Amino acid sequence: MDTLNTTEKLNHEELFTLLKGFITEVIGEEFAEEMDISPESSFTKDLEMDSIEIVSFSEKIKAHFGDQIDFTGWLSSMDLDELINLDLRMIINYIYECQ
Amino acid sequence: MPIIEINHKKVHIQELNKGAEQTVVLIHGMFSNLSIYYFNIAPVLAKKFHVVMYDLKSHGMSERFEDGYDLGNMSSDLIALMDKLQLEKVHLVGYSFGGLIALKTALDYQNRISQLVVMEAPDPQDEKARGIIEQYSKEFLEHYVANFTDTTKVQMGKRQMEKNHRMYEFLFNKTSIKADMIREKYFLSEVNLSEIHIPTLLLYGSDSNCTPTGEWLNDQIPDSQLELISGDHNIPIQEPALIAETIVDFLSKTLTKTLT
Repeated sequence: MDTLNTTEKLNHEELFTLLKGFITEVIGEEFAEEMDISPESSFTKDLEMDSIEIVSFSEKIKAHFGDQIDFTGWLSSMDLDELINLDLRMIINYIYECQ
Repeated sequence: MPIIEINHKKVHIQELNKGAEQTVVLIHGMFSNLSIYYFNIAPVLAKKFHVVMYDLKSHGMSERFEDGYDLGNMSSDLIALMDKLQLEKVHLVGYSFGGLIALKTALDYQNRISQLVVMEAPDPQDEKARGIIEQYSKEFLEHYVANFTDTTKVQMGKRQMEKNHRMYEFLFNKTSIKADMIREKYFLSEVNLSEIHIPTLLLYGSDSNCTPTGEWLNDQIPDSQLELISGDHNIPIQEPALIAETIVDFLSKTLTKTLT
């Protein structure tokens, strides 16, 4: 499921909708509604995602985009401060560039 | 999300580089989950090996169990996982309590393990190490805080507090985990570690309370070597790149030695 069948590049807004959907699946609809997810939402401070939830989120990105995006590799290249400050917009930009 | 069913229970696994000839299985510690390997250590090992990570029962995204937290059961869970994935022989890496599971598996299923890496396994009999077992929950929280929050500005949020609380409440109040742990108090003195004839790498933190156990294990296990990594009990979080490289070096060198 979730595998991209088209080679069309998603724009920033479409990527936001897609990733918001993944986050909702990972943290549950009830919490996602409370969180008011936006491109500025940070993964740790705003969305309160822990490491195993970021694993789930990464897996969803891998399943959707396949080999065109090395999301885990990108995350592991970050230092602690970068990880703490990681927000949705940075991920959207990264995926947009990789497509 | 890769979830497989073993003995009618769901187990969360992650695999990298499935095509590789040899497999490394990574076992996490108590009250942690496979994410301790997923981001930094596993990708380095996967350049050379097929890597399998799994969440222990009731941990991470694996299904909850009410009992079977002693080393014998945790070890047969691992063998059942290997059978399910059709892995006849693997390299085994275990951290903390996962290191004790790795030792138990090496003793009971020697022919299924090629090489062994034990990181920061505590001696459950040692008073200081027992302190660590008592504080396993703290280790999990510290991992979370060290990796994913800014401790000076952010407290763990309401949702994470509730999620953690639910896990500890279940494990401490509704499972046999505490009693099973107490029963393992004399594990290291009850078994004969000189029977382990598998090349073994012991990785301990230079400032860890567990390091005397690493030194003792090094004396007991015939084909072992001890390497100290700068840090304390949390070396996989403190020095993931160094840990990954050291493991790859060990597994590769010993393999070359065996083949020539």
